[in-house]
Amino acid sequence: MLNETAIKELQEIRSKYPSARSALLPAIYVAQREFGWLSEEAYEAVSEVLGVPKAIARGVGAFYAMYKHRPMGRNIIQLCTNVSCMILGAERLADYLKSHYGLVPGGTTEDGRFSLVIMECIGACGTAPAMLVNDEFYENLSEQYIEEILAKFT
Amino acid sequence: MITVTINEKEITLEKPITVLEAARSAGISIPTLCYHPALERYGGCRLCLVEVEKMPRLQTACTLMTADGMIVRTETDAIAGVRRGILEFLLINHPLDCPYCDKAGECELQDLVEKYGPTTGRFKEKKRKMPESLEDAIIVRNMERCIVCTRCVRMCEGVQGASAIAVMERGGHSHIEPFSGGKYDCEYCGNCISVCPVGAIMSRMHRHSYRPWQMTDQVETICPYCGVGCTVTAQVRDDAIKRIIPKLGSPVNNGLLCSRGRFGYEFVGNRDRLTRPLIRKNGVLEESTWEEAIHRVTQKLGEIKEKYGSSSVAGIASPRCTNEDNYVFQKFMRVTIGTHNIDSTARTGYAGAQQFIENIFGQGATANIISGISRSDVVFVVGGDPTTVNPILGLQIRACSRKGGAVLTLGKVSGLRYFSPHALDPASFTETVLLEGIVTELKNRKELSGSHSSLESNIKDIAVSVEDVIKECKIREDDFHSFITLLSEASNPVLIIGKEIIQSNGASYKLLLLSAINYLINGRIYLLSERANEQGLLDMGCASDLLPGSRPVEVAELRRRYERAWHVTLPDKPGLTLFEMIHGAKEGSVRAMYVMGENPLFNLPNSENVKEALGNLDFLVVQDLFMTETAESADVVLPALSWAEKEGTFTNMERRIQKLRKVISRAGKEDWRIISDVSGNMGVSFPYDSAEDVFAEISKVSPLHRDLTYDDIEEGEALWPFKGEPLRGGMEISCNKGDGATESGKYFLAIDRPLFHSGTLSRKSSALMRLCPEAVARISSTTAAELSVTDGDSIRISTRIGSLSLPVFIDEAYDGSLIKVSNNFRGKGVFSLMEYSLDPVLKSPCMDNVIIEIEKSDRHVQRDPKNDSEVKK
Amino acid sequence: MEKVLLKNIENTNSADITEYQKIGGYASIAKALEKERKDIIEEVKKAGLRGRGGAGFPAAMKWTFASGDPKFPKYLVCNADEGEPGTFKDRPILEKNPHLLIEGMVISGYALNAEYGFIYLRGEYPDAKHILERAIAQAYDRNFLGDDIAGKGIVFHLSVHQGAGAYICGEETALIESLEGDRGQPRIKPPFPVNVGVWSKPTIVNNVETLSNLPYIIEIGGEAYSKIGSPECPGPKLYCVSGHIEKPGVYELPMGTSLREIIYTHCGGIKGGKQLKAVIPGGISTPVLPPDKIDCPMDFVNMPKHGSMLGSGAVIVMDETVCLVKVCYRALKFFEHESCGKCTPCREGTGWLRSILERIEHGEGQEGDIDLLLSVSSNILGKTFCPLGDGAASVVQNFIKHFRPEFEGHITAKTCAVEG
Ligand SMILES: Cc1cc2nc3c(=O)[nH]c(=O)nc-3n(C[C@H](O)[C@H](O)[C@H](O)COP(=O)(O)O)c2cc1C
Ligand code: SF4
Ligand code: FES
Repeated sequence: MLNETAIKELQEIRSKYPSARSALLPAIYVAQREFGWLSEEAYEAVSEVLGVPKAIARGVGAFYAMYKHRPMGRNIIQLCTNVSCMILGAERLADYLKSHYGLVPGGTTEDGRFSLVIMECIGACGTAPAMLVNDEFYENLSEQYIEEILAKFT
Repeated sequence: MITVTINEKEITLEKPITVLEAARSAGISIPTLCYHPALERYGGCRLCLVEVEKMPRLQTACTLMTADGMIVRTETDAIAGVRRGILEFLLINHPLDCPYCDKAGECELQDLVEKYGPTTGRFKEKKRKMPESLEDAIIVRNMERCIVCTRCVRMCEGVQGASAIAVMERGGHSHIEPFSGGKYDCEYCGNCISVCPVGAIMSRMHRHSYRPWQMTDQVETICPYCGVGCTVTAQVRDDAIKRIIPKLGSPVNNGLLCSRGRFGYEFVGNRDRLTRPLIRKNGVLEESTWEEAIHRVTQKLGEIKEKYGSSSVAGIASPRCTNEDNYVFQKFMRVTIGTHNIDSTARTGYAGAQQFIENIFGQGATANIISGISRSDVVFVVGGDPTTVNPILGLQIRACSRKGGAVLTLGKVSGLRYFSPHALDPASFTETVLLEGIVTELKNRKELSGSHSSLESNIKDIAVSVEDVIKECKIREDDFHSFITLLSEASNPVLIIGKEIIQSNGASYKLLLLSAINYLINGRIYLLSERANEQGLLDMGCASDLLPGSRPVEVAELRRRYERAWHVTLPDKPGLTLFEMIHGAKEGSVRAMYVMGENPLFNLPNSENVKEALGNLDFLVVQDLFMTETAESADVVLPALSWAEKEGTFTNMERRIQKLRKVISRAGKEDWRIISDVSGNMGVSFPYDSAEDVFAEISKVSPLHRDLTYDDIEEGEALWPFKGEPLRGGMEISCNKGDGATESGKYFLAIDRPLFHSGTLSRKSSALMRLCPEAVARISSTTAAELSVTDGDSIRISTRIGSLSLPVFIDEAYDGSLIKVSNNFRGKGVFSLMEYSLDPVLKSPCMDNVIIEIEKSDRHVQRDPKNDSEVKK
Repeated sequence: MEKVLLKNIENTNSADITEYQKIGGYASIAKALEKERKDIIEEVKKAGLRGRGGAGFPAAMKWTFASGDPKFPKYLVCNADEGEPGTFKDRPILEKNPHLLIEGMVISGYALNAEYGFIYLRGEYPDAKHILERAIAQAYDRNFLGDDIAGKGIVFHLSVHQGAGAYICGEETALIESLEGDRGQPRIKPPFPVNVGVWSKPTIVNNVETLSNLPYIIEIGGEAYSKIGSPECPGPKLYCVSGHIEKPGVYELPMGTSLREIIYTHCGGIKGGKQLKAVIPGGISTPVLPPDKIDCPMDFVNMPKHGSMLGSGAVIVMDETVCLVKVCYRALKFFEHESCGKCTPCREGTGWLRSILERIEHGEGQEGDIDLLLSVSSNILGKTFCPLGDGAASVVQNFIKHFRPEFEGHITAKTCAVEG
């Protein structure tokens, strides 16, 4: 179940829109934050607070790539491999994450520290290759730079 | 006027329709997959692409609206190539398992590929794999076969309003799933099955047991369950029903069905069906011959009539039997026995409420077209959940909401919770105040027109202040005001009344208030009806005070017409109502009872009392399909033919007379024939060879059915009153305010009316038993917390007259102190716990004040073995 | 050319309202509110402003349709979904110049009589969300948003709606579905959003860059604005250049600057002085161009004449080290991943194309595969519900058209000549 504050937050979001359904996307973000990932329980909670049928909520959530439907590591690395990043070495970086951190696309490190998600373009092509770690952009990546960045996360 | 040219053919249209519809209307076929006439336009499959002059791209015929002068081509080489290309795309990930698939033979994809498709595939990669899901009890899902036309999802969300399935993921991973993957948490209408063009969503009930081309027969008939009276098509193989499907375009249900209608047919072939007459000998029911059984009935009824007079015999008719069965039965009671002691379970609510309302507004006031509900702007629901009692009518309310209409409910209605209901949920036992408040406010806003003086004089003094309503009912003032505003500004409102309010204290006064509301807002009234022929039975005169055609027994001039037709003199006073019969049996004035297709020992409140009453009879004869609780205590049990095995007519709640057709054959007799045999034996012979003969007499005797023929019914032109006589109305209104009893108790018992069951018939259908296998006590989460129980724990519920141990189910839609139990399972019926009092006007039982004691029972409740064995196929 | 859209963004505090006002920001609102609504639309028409989201539809025409619809309320939606690979031109506005966008939306809102605005922001821009929300709060504080804007009784409310990772939601009807809390699948047109859009009300969807031009048009007038850049589609344009280029980044240049000038004059040429092999001029969905085709003016009208499209102005530069089969394969992986699944050809076809390209790229290509690619693409092209599927098909067709030998080489040699 969601805690009081989260329920309040959902109700607040709900009041911004002319229909409960419209609040689904932001509400699913909240549920993802609260539950860590979008379990059935998370969708049930959203459905309950917004009064939107639960299958609908899940069907909507399942459409979007940024909603996570599996438990995730503590930090999510979202590495872009689309063309601009690819031609500037994104694949090499993916290999590096695999060899040095044991991270495969869609996977999580054994210690639960990182999950790796391969992204389509994240709008950092001018500073490619690039990635997001949690909500932060990291650009002009190289192997050494990645190592430095990841060291900051526990 | 719009003129379009399709393939050089000029087509003139009244109003713009889609190119597809225009083409089809002119006999030009365009292949489609995602299109379905009952669903919103989609345009996803792209099979219907056509060339339209002056448009740069190909256009989907299913979405493009016609415009004057449009020139369309559907059969060019380019289009043929497009169709081949699309079908090739649909096949690349398709398992091509037609030989194994139950859909083969009626699969739209298979047919289209055969007609337009590529002959070989060019896709060399591995196909998408998704294992077939057999986790659900009723629905099999095979997502490898799915073509993502989303017809099922559009049906489930946009028409059924259950929103139980959705497309999951996207792109090539798109697939359809219920919320939690395997099991469906849904209404099991099965309408998704109806619209799936391929073998992706199918019923498990006939899995691998037939192929479409093996059907030996296909018969259109009427659903046996509720008062809506949906048209169904029964498909038969080897004299067994294999499948029930709806038909697009049928007037009541237009391609839709509910769970009971679609999956509840198996009782017909259940091996518990009675096959031979039984006679009680030395206390035991033993098989006998028809001759012997009929002789016994004749002899005993004759004796008792002789000894105690005609009025010592009583009959209970059946809302599950046809008009013909019921007509013959009441005629038997009136003519052969000589009494008006004929009544039915319609007396538990429907009959009295209808009579009350029609006394005010005129006969036929509650006969309104179900499909009109979706076109109204305000629907006010009182007294129950229409989506479980009359599911297809419930869909009309949902459709109304979807079109922007307002749904108002008194109390919470689970089935409408996603349809933006404006709910006023008054504190227990304060509905009367609330209704008075609504009447007061509506009177303030609307002038009394003076067009109904007796009703106006009854309500002119009603005045309850808003403050009092708010205080007593504990509702929010805003909610009350917006309710009133919606009601008073409605231009085409309807009022839907369910049994819960009719079976409450002071019901007749509440009905007066509802009538007043209806009068003030100029609405139409619908009375929910639980049984398929509840209306027909009343029209046939299976009521102690009404003759066929609903003519009151007491009016001598009216009575004369029947006396002439039947060559008898009829008693001039009404007979005993249902509850008076029970009372009479208990105290000895009723000595014999004839029960046709009814189970009073289970279906009436205070079962123990009924049992005692029936036990007190000198003679009880029961005619039924199964060995019911009542049949078990009978002296003679006569096996009858079921709905699927006979001809006849049903009258639905709109008073549409519809034809039941024989689907399969079975040795045995129709109810009317058994009764005719008995009557003949008693010296009054009835001259019928067929149901049609009986109907011919009905249309002569009943003024409502005058001149109506089987052919008219066949053509669907039999909306009652057919060529009826002028209707009565405007009788004096009497009503009873009740004692306002609000006896304090912590918990109250109420009747649950589950979607998956209907009376005791449905417990003989394995699919429905799988969906809802046992009686549960539905409680609120507050109650659960108070008792510290969770789902599946059991509790013991006790009233003054009995107790039951039941597993609990926590229902989020319930509040506080209400506990609901259904009346469908042997040994676990809520009526066994319910005492009742009678509303003096409606003669129906009041059961809203049953206080119970509850305790958590330690013992885990064992499933009743008897109950388990109820479904045998 | 004076910077309009990227003005002041070097200032580290450019997203702050005070800084924005210091350089004359929000002055256009007062000026606009003095005009009649229809006169603003007239001004935009004179300016010749075309939508910057990719299709280049004349903004004033869309607005005229919407303002002609009597239904109320109307909604103004800013398309900040920027998902076309290679595109990052809206991001500097969103992150560094949010008040320009807000000002533009207030002016458009007034012109269209829309009282509610939404910025549909892609989920991948978390920073932009916070920056926009802060900017919106500041604008409310200073009365540039709210129920009585600039004391003139004008109402306009604005909020941010965050997407969640779906390229298709950049398509305006899919965006509307998503804003309504649905799966982002395109809707049937007609009815067009200008008549039946979000919550069934008239809805105007415009790109971030489009709306950000409004303050300037009001400031200097439509007439003067129309003198900037290409005569057929005037104005300043943001070009975002990435890949093998010396100075990648977002450039604000007059519309119609040639691709060659962008690459060699403004961006310092190919990285490391290598040879140019191919350019994708307007985001991945636009047709790839070989080096001899880069003398084209980058605008909506001229690019189609040169075999490509302006799209979002996202220039991806590729040097001689790039394997184009691999680029094409990666592009198709993108389309497969982003296909919404509504229509058959795109749902099934993108995956099929990807799988053929995959085997070619992996040295498992078979004879006939190029023809199969062309045949499958032509079964998609022109048959899909929305332009996404067309984009996928045309990418394949254009890569083969210009670089067929490279594909053939992969199939016959079973390996890549460039990368080995
Ligand atoms: C597949 C697809 C993706 C699109 N993505 C975007 C986008 O990310 N941003 C955008 O502004 N427009 C995008 N568009 C264009 C929009 O549909 C729409 O034309 C635009 O928002 C209109 O604004 P404008 O007239 O200001 O350009 C996309 C269109 C398609 C077909
Ligand atoms: S082309 Fe079809 S499947 Fe692809 S994104 Fe558009 S509508 Fe969806
Ligand atoms: S039937 Fe027209 S697109 Fe499917």
